[in-house]
Amino acid sequence: MAKKRIDDYEPGPVPPPAPLDRFGFVKRELSYSHDGSMKERSAYEYEREERRVRKWRKMIGVGGSDWTYYVKRKPHVVKRRIRKGIPDCLRGLIWQLISGSRDLLLMNPGVYEQLVIYETSASELDIIRDISRTFPSHVFFRQRHGPGQRSLYNVLKAYSVFDREVGYVQGMGFLAGLMLLYMSEEDAFWLLVALLKGAVHAPMEGLYLVGLPLVQQYLFQFDNLAREYLPKLGEHFTQEMINPSMYASQWFITVFSYSFPFHLALRIWDVFLYEGVQIVFKVGLALLKYCHDDLIKLPFEKLIYALRNFPEDAMDPDTLLPMAYSIKVSKRLEELKQDYEKKNQKLVQSTEFNEKQQQSQERFLSSKRS
Amino acid sequence: MARRADEEYDYLFKVVLIGDSGVGKSNLLSRFTRNEFCLESKSTIGVEFATRTLQVEGRTVKAQIWDTAGQERYRAITSAYYRGALGALLVYDVTKPTTFENVSRWLKELRDHADSNIVIMLIGNKTDLKHLRAVATEDAQGYAEKEGLSFIETSALEATNVEKSFQTILAEIYRIISKKSLSSDEPGPASIKEGKTLVVGGSEENTKKPCCSSS
Repeated sequence: MAKKRIDDYEPGPVPPPAPLDRFGFVKRELSYSHDGSMKERSAYEYEREERRVRKWRKMIGVGGSDWTYYVKRKPHVVKRRIRKGIPDCLRGLIWQLISGSRDLLLMNPGVYEQLVIYETSASELDIIRDISRTFPSHVFFRQRHGPGQRSLYNVLKAYSVFDREVGYVQGMGFLAGLMLLYMSEEDAFWLLVALLKGAVHAPMEGLYLVGLPLVQQYLFQFDNLAREYLPKLGEHFTQEMINPSMYASQWFITVFSYSFPFHLALRIWDVFLYEGVQIVFKVGLALLKYCHDDLIKLPFEKLIYALRNFPEDAMDPDTLLPMAYSIKVSKRLEELKQDYEKKNQKLVQSTEFNEKQQQSQERFLSSKRS
Repeated sequence: MARRADEEYDYLFKVVLIGDSGVGKSNLLSRFTRNEFCLESKSTIGVEFATRTLQVEGRTVKAQIWDTAGQERYRAITSAYYRGALGALLVYDVTKPTTFENVSRWLKELRDHADSNIVIMLIGNKTDLKHLRAVATEDAQGYAEKEGLSFIETSALEATNVEKSFQTILAEIYRIISKKSLSSDEPGPASIKEGKTLVVGGSEENTKKPCCSSS
């Protein structure tokens, strides 16, 4: 449908069939599989999953028609169910409902197509360079110029046109890639917009703007939270000269989708889209807490390695997530944000920035509405 | 004794890998530290880290290497890692002229953020792609001489010159360090067994770390 650079090429050969896990990643031996279960799932588990799907279907209604009503009436039930994990077959739809991206899509018909087909982006070559380096072990993205790589290119290019200030930044591909495994290109694009522009929660585009201001803020907040929550470990980090940019940048920039086991990343995303970025801090703290007694003994290099390669038992969602939920961070996060802003006096600058950006995007949105 | 190679060393040198995105920095690092090359590697987000202990000029040297994301916007995070680095491997892709043209911008970046006496080596990577070569060896050689950098061409895929490039820069760092310690009253660096980074003094930015001390 579109004339795009990447379409000029024939698709590469389909890679030889390799054993895949249940999410479509090539199975690696001697390492955790992405679905985290070495054993086959039992009949009991299938049954339980089916019961959950039925509950969820009832909750959302046909095509999501009852969703808004249900969320308003029983927000706590929704929160509790999401924390237990959204059934995989409904994930794509639910993600769009809870993130506000479905509304954006409905309000802006045709915009995505326009961005993909008629606009050119200064980032096209940068995007192409990274396409084959995004989830390279997933069956959907493995084939050179195959459908997965093409969709990924289109979504990223569209976003880089939609917001030329952000453009394309490495890391965005992992967000878009994760979304594309659960929804269409256009849906994924609007989910990216919803997250970065802040449809429901605070905008996260600062993760990718010049200077990576939000990454710096999150790392500042995380460093302080970790020190307050786990003072002994904080002390050890100081002694060994470890700071969170050495291990946690990827957590925030890709919301755990870069290197974490996929089944865990999905569970985190369920909560992330409903409750916001707080869950990233909570999961980070829970990981440090879970491994606390080991981490505290390690010298610098082993410590960095451990912080980038958590053991399999620490990555089990059913252990890690309840631990994360029990950690309260919202009040301190807000206070630390203010501390950070005071420290950097960036308030004025960022407001100016936002205003300028809004103007550039309204070009697309209003032109379609009129 | 079994632990020796892993735990003990005479020197610890911090080195950064920089250069445009996609030139092969991460694969140079994995080739050097683990003798691995990954065709399906992911783009680096933020910084990665690896070490290897080896013999340089008869001394046991631990190379602590920081691999950085190449995209310009990531410099907001990665430039902090230049501080205290004794060496920088500045990598370009011999098949992509723009990555070579950007070398001067990377040099400026080092001048702005790294210690002034940092040892810099220019590396033209991907020589295995012979039919796609677009940067002539002589051009890069000439540029390196003009800028006072050492220069080598490598192929991380074929493991050509990777070992040699790291050996060369580590030896160069060693020569500078040993000269420094001769003219200093500090205890000899050979006694240093612990610590994160061996910092060459003299730079205004490193006030809290004296010459050749561990930090």
